[in-house]
Amino acid sequence: MLWALHLLSAGLAPGARAEKPSLGLLWMLKPVQTVEANIADDSTGFVHDYFDLVNVRQENKQLTEEVTSLESQRTRLAELEVENRHLSDLLELREVLSTEAVAARVIGADATEVSSTLILSEGSNDGLRRDMAVISTEGVVGKLIAVAPNASRVLLINDHNAGLDAFDQRSRARGIVGGVLDGNLTMKYVDRTEDVKPGDAVVTSGMDGIFPRGLLVGQITQVSQEGPGLFLNIDIRPAADFRKLEHVLILTQKPPQLAPNVNG
Amino acid sequence: MRVVALYAIATLIALALETTIPHWLPIGGLMPNLVLILAVDLGMKHHGAIDALLAFGMGYAIDSFSGTHLGLNAFMLTLTYAIAYGLSRYLISTSTAIGVFLVFVAATLTGFVNVLGTAPFEASSGALAMLPELALRAAVSALFTPWVFALMGLGKRAVGLRLRPVRE
Repeated sequence: MLWALHLLSAGLAPGARAEKPSLGLLWMLKPVQTVEANIADDSTGFVHDYFDLVNVRQENKQLTEEVTSLESQRTRLAELEVENRHLSDLLELREVLSTEAVAARVIGADATEVSSTLILSEGSNDGLRRDMAVISTEGVVGKLIAVAPNASRVLLINDHNAGLDAFDQRSRARGIVGGVLDGNLTMKYVDRTEDVKPGDAVVTSGMDGIFPRGLLVGQITQVSQEGPGLFLNIDIRPAADFRKLEHVLILTQKPPQLAPNVNG
Repeated sequence: MRVVALYAIATLIALALETTIPHWLPIGGLMPNLVLILAVDLGMKHHGAIDALLAFGMGYAIDSFSGTHLGLNAFMLTLTYAIAYGLSRYLISTSTAIGVFLVFVAATLTGFVNVLGTAPFEASSGALAMLPELALRAAVSALFTPWVFALMGLGKRAVGLRLRPVRE
């Protein structure tokens, strides 16, 4: 227990020796998680196949096997089509951003569900490093917090430990976007005199040195001025649906450092 | 050594399930904390120094796949092990009912500490609001406890481990 407390209190620096075994575990479980992810992908199709088959059997028992085969092929093709579309979208996004990036597949989620992290199929062998930005076609996803040779973990922006520099696209009011326990986002440190309204889009400012400027973070859903505080309470709905993420793009090139002026 | 190997393999399988199932099936946060159940089972039935280290290792393994603070789950699982060990010695029993109770309490406490530990200042009010949800998740873990205990019992018999009663 003292050892665990020591680990906790040490506040491990990136690449610390005590972190190495955890990267080893990440590396070790990757093949299992990949297999499970494949099974999970297929199982959705199997469930639909089952219900289809019940109807087909009632109509004509002789055609069962043929239908099974065709349905299985159709599901497989549909799945490939979806995957192809995801990857094409990511490729398009990479070209729009004109930056170096690696596409990765989501193969797992956080082990405890208290934190918001995902496990990706690519690692340092593919050029990934800690603190690289992770995005999807919908918007910002998070940043890499652990990178093993063949897998990596990404801290989602809706985790209560996450934070990124962003601004309201309409009013240019700048703040720090972080996660709250219910899985949504909040924008902190926005002066209560700022003209921020529900429906405004929030985009990255590029000032944190991780995310390039102008990526969509989410949409403001509620603005309140409760209490005597100096700042607004701003709730944001994330642009990306983290539960449905299948493929993401990791930006391997650091964005250019910007001066702290978002106006214009 | 067989105990260590058995629990290590069980932990890896549990972790693989815990990290993949919630992402692909719409079960919300209702995935049982399988590794914690294993730690309770270990604490109730195996009382050596190596077993305590094993509990630490199981917590460290969770830390590798969860959150940002290495050591938080390692601490909580070692503590869980110690409580399960103490209780089974005190009550001279390895009853599944005690295990179910322990898993419920430990899972609630672990969830609460995870929320508090990762965001000690901002999340303090939110952590209290999350207690019912944490208790629900803990209840799911408690429901799975008899099956996990039974599976581990089968595993132990399969590798030739004798299930000994707790010493007085």
